[in-house]
Amino acid sequence: MGFREWIGSWPVYRQLTGTDRAGKAAAARSAASRALSARTRTADKVVKSICPYCAVGCAQNVFVKDDKVVHVEGDPDSPVSRGRLCPKGAATLQLTTGSGRRTGVLYRAPKATEWQEIDLDTAMAMVTERVIETRRRTWEAELDGSRTNRTMGIASLGGATLDNEENYLIKKLLTALGVVQVENQARVCHSSTVIGLGTSFGRGGATTFMQDLQHSDCIVIEGSNFAECHPVGFQWVMEAKARGAKVIHVDPRFTRTSAMADLHVPLRAGTDIAFLGGIINHVLQTESYFRDYVLDYTNAATIVGEEFQDTEDLDGLFSGFDQDTRHYAFDSWSYEGTTVAPASGQRDRTPGRRIDSDFAETGVGEGQGSGGVALGGDRPHRDETLRHPRCVLQILKRHFSRYTPEMVRDVCGIPRETFEEVCADLVANSGPERTSEFVYAVGWTQHTTGSQFIRAASVLQLLLGNIGRPGGGIQALRGHASIQGSSDIPTLFNLLPGYIPMPYAHHGQDLREFVEADAAKKGFWAEMESYVVSLLKAWWGPAATPENQFCFDYLPRLTGSHAHYDTVLEQIAGRCKGYFLMGENPAVGSANAKMQRLGMANLEWLVVRDFNLTESATWWRDGPEIETGELRTEDIDTEVFFFPAAAHTEKAGSFTNTNRMLQWHHEAVEPSGDCRSDLWFMYHLGVRIREQLADSTDEIDRPVRELTWDYPTQGENREPVAEAVLAEINGWNHDGDPLSSYTQLRPDGSTACGCWIYCGVYAEGVNQAARRKPATEQDWIASEWAWAWPANRRILYNRASARPDGTPWSERKKLVWWDAEAGCWTGYDTPDFEADKSPDYRPDPEATGVAALSGVDPFIMQADGKGWLFVPAGISDGPLPAHYEPQDSPFPNILYRQQRNPARLLYPHEHNRYQPAGTTNGSQVYPFVVTTYRLTEHFTAGGMSRWTPYLAELQPEAFCEVSPELAVTQGLRNGEWATIITPRNAIEARVLVTDRMTPLRVHGRIVEQIGLPYHWGPNGLSTGDAANELSSISLDPSAHIQEVKAFGADIRPGRRPRGPALPELVRSYQLLAGITSETGTEV
Amino acid sequence: MPSAATVTRLLGQGLDYVAAAKRLGISPGTAYLIRTGVPADGGDTVAGARRELLLSHSQLLVQPNSHNPTEHAEVMAWLRDRALGDPQMQAAAWETR
Repeated sequence: MGFREWIGSWPVYRQLTGTDRAGKAAAARSAASRALSARTRTADKVVKSICPYCAVGCAQNVFVKDDKVVHVEGDPDSPVSRGRLCPKGAATLQLTTGSGRRTGVLYRAPKATEWQEIDLDTAMAMVTERVIETRRRTWEAELDGSRTNRTMGIASLGGATLDNEENYLIKKLLTALGVVQVENQARVCHSSTVIGLGTSFGRGGATTFMQDLQHSDCIVIEGSNFAECHPVGFQWVMEAKARGAKVIHVDPRFTRTSAMADLHVPLRAGTDIAFLGGIINHVLQTESYFRDYVLDYTNAATIVGEEFQDTEDLDGLFSGFDQDTRHYAFDSWSYEGTTVAPASGQRDRTPGRRIDSDFAETGVGEGQGSGGVALGGDRPHRDETLRHPRCVLQILKRHFSRYTPEMVRDVCGIPRETFEEVCADLVANSGPERTSEFVYAVGWTQHTTGSQFIRAASVLQLLLGNIGRPGGGIQALRGHASIQGSSDIPTLFNLLPGYIPMPYAHHGQDLREFVEADAAKKGFWAEMESYVVSLLKAWWGPAATPENQFCFDYLPRLTGSHAHYDTVLEQIAGRCKGYFLMGENPAVGSANAKMQRLGMANLEWLVVRDFNLTESATWWRDGPEIETGELRTEDIDTEVFFFPAAAHTEKAGSFTNTNRMLQWHHEAVEPSGDCRSDLWFMYHLGVRIREQLADSTDEIDRPVRELTWDYPTQGENREPVAEAVLAEINGWNHDGDPLSSYTQLRPDGSTACGCWIYCGVYAEGVNQAARRKPATEQDWIASEWAWAWPANRRILYNRASARPDGTPWSERKKLVWWDAEAGCWTGYDTPDFEADKSPDYRPDPEATGVAALSGVDPFIMQADGKGWLFVPAGISDGPLPAHYEPQDSPFPNILYRQQRNPARLLYPHEHNRYQPAGTTNGSQVYPFVVTTYRLTEHFTAGGMSRWTPYLAELQPEAFCEVSPELAVTQGLRNGEWATIITPRNAIEARVLVTDRMTPLRVHGRIVEQIGLPYHWGPNGLSTGDAANELSSISLDPSAHIQEVKAFGADIRPGRRPRGPALPELVRSYQLLAGITSETGTEV
Repeated sequence: MPSAATVTRLLGQGLDYVAAAKRLGISPGTAYLIRTGVPADGGDTVAGARRELLLSHSQLLVQPNSHNPTEHAEVMAWLRDRALGDPQMQAAAWETR
């Protein structure tokens, strides 16, 4: 090498002598860097995938070399994520390839102190034997004379982190086995969303989709820290802001969302209905509502029966409340001249039927997920002048009249001028030319009035005319990759796929009666029989015939609520003996974590499927109760099986994102060791059970033996072909051709379909969920990227984007419109309406089904085609939202004499005590308000983040946020420890003193709030006490969701006691507050 | 390193990025980057109007082995077997014809 060549090889020489003076290009290259190549460049293949964390659904490119995943990055073709990933998404390489992942099966024998390794085949055989034996031993053919055909001895929890296909097999197999206690994270996260949105609009999913945020003129984010919890989706808020939208963040804490907003409105946790009610009152009193929209597209003009009495009449109660049963009879809420189906959460209480007191009082919650409540009788009476004193608009005016700015100030702690600014922004940005959007997450859902939080936003958005229009709507931000999917294909006790309700025992219905009891006479839900029969054909194939009612009796019957928290009580009572945990970690992730563990300690067997040894797998060895001495490992009889799970890169399947969009992820590599998908686990468990029962002549085994379970398999592991499961979900006709629309389904058995709302996802034999046409090749709707239910519509109820005559409300906000020349609806999105139904169409008075909807009825799943400002049925705690204080609140309710939601569900237990409320003596013992939340770097109960070094390093331990003022009064120091105490338990956390926590003036005094992230537990790389040690089991009556976003507590400096001193501390607080088994249980 | 003008000249001669890159001894993605100033994989530096510079499937220039099958012959055969193996389904369909 000559001198010139040698010196020329120096980057700095070339930088100084060449044209690249900044050293950013060719000058920076050296011999060493020339020898390098990106691992993306040398990869053997790039597999298209979807991020497995939150439900934004960011697309991923998974790079594979030598059958190993070597890199994961964002896919820029995605119209949703545009190539971006958040810290969790970016860490998925470590999630899937990390050395800390478990790859072998473990077994803990009864009373054993250690795990032992066993092989996968042995473990599967043991679990098969446990299921068969427990099922047979606990089989319940009938209860109190009603046929149930089920087992209450087995339960399952988890599904929101799994694929739709996995949820489908879980529900299908367990239902055939007679297991009814099947639940997943949707119960504890967004079940109230389904109630709130479903009863208001006819479907329980978000009304819009992520990219449409950019068209909004005003975005109100409330009950969500959007920027940190769904960071990639937040880019669309920033797009809107760049276009001039006003962004408002309403939240107890100042967060990164607040930092990017134009206005942050701090409020007291749990008072959002008072705030939203104030805005509703403002809109009504100033007549700022969108009159034409309200008149034609909502039930504002509908007249309610004379029997209805409002909270204004009964000081906080609606008519129909029974103080003894704590339930509402909803008959008096009906429209004049109609009858209605049972309320959500009470679908076991059919009108006119006696309720057997032995049956639990609550049941179906999310029945309106894709179909409104059935209405019987005449067409509802209407007053188009909106002046009738019993028309819905006038009832609304009266109901919300006390939600004044002063009341908002005193209840929520929001100054009048701030409140009025929000009102003015919303009104100014709603109407024909402008739209506003609401965005929320579990800050709204997880309350004893959670469903009504969503209802309040729904009422407001209907009044402002913001539903079904671009830039409008209500965006429900869900937090698991497929939590929408695990509601649609429900691993939920009360539902069958597509929000078809599970049948109840005491109704004694046959298939015909079942359909007639629930199907609406008008709208698309009138076709329910086709959906049910097609499902039964998918599950039982040739065994399902008209003569045996298509095996309708193979479905086990419910007798009340068998939801997640009821199951915990069943475990503690010793009636539930076996438990599957599939990617869910209730030992820290569910309310009152101690109760969860005590339930598991009373099981005979427990199956945990996860990536790592979560707290739900190891509580018997190192749980908090072992330390306190409340449990002793050697005394615990529970057998525990740990099965390592496959990651999203190791299996194929679909996730349904937060906007109802199914996106397919392909298998990039085979899972290592004993790691298997849940699809594999359920399929092979089913195969083994069916082999064992093949020769059985017992009638109870017939539903399992005749179950269609012949899925094709592939590879060495005999992995079921996930596309085959998707194809079953989609449905087929007698030729075996995949169906393309649920309108093709028939009630005669000539079609099969595993989930009617997903019909079309495998249309023409193409996996529509795997479509990946780049966003740059499409318009902003991007309808050729993946597939959304229903019928690939992205904005629901979009008929409402046009005037009643079919023309757009404005050029600026046009979306779909009537093309009179072509005689059909057209536009940017798939019309959410019958394509050829003219705006002028008016149904015959005797018309039924879809034909009964007029050309101006945009809410096609509702029985009357209207958006419901007032909900005459379908929700358990009132037809209108009303503010009640949280179960554990240090404040009295100054809006009504009624302190708490009168219909809330309580579970008094020595480990589930409640605090005195409001001004009651003893409430001052827990004077502060705790609100729990999520961080960017961790995921739910930590199972997918606390073992990941990248993420654990970013958020290494549990902490709490307090204001500088609270730090002074309580002697807390930044970075040191604090102990937080509630009537249930006490935890410790590092103290973060920050101005982000704002002391608020409420009821004339200052209230301090404590922010508490909830991701932690004692296991993993990043550890800490679980926030759910503190929370209680107190539930929304419709959704059975727990209240963890607002509860009272005390905080003091220092670490919590160890050993028996911990429960003694909790008990000492209870004594100080005078807490008994009755405390907090008052109506 | 070739200049943008060089890449443009080759494209003007009718070559695509793959062929142009091969002639210049660089990767197709690099040729694309030189010509447009935009990474072909649509990386995070691409925003706003510059996104319009991205060609259809420009990712393929740097990730040629993309894997995204959307059809499955075995599944279609399996569906047909299920339909034909269900006499009640066949009879019901026959009755409605």
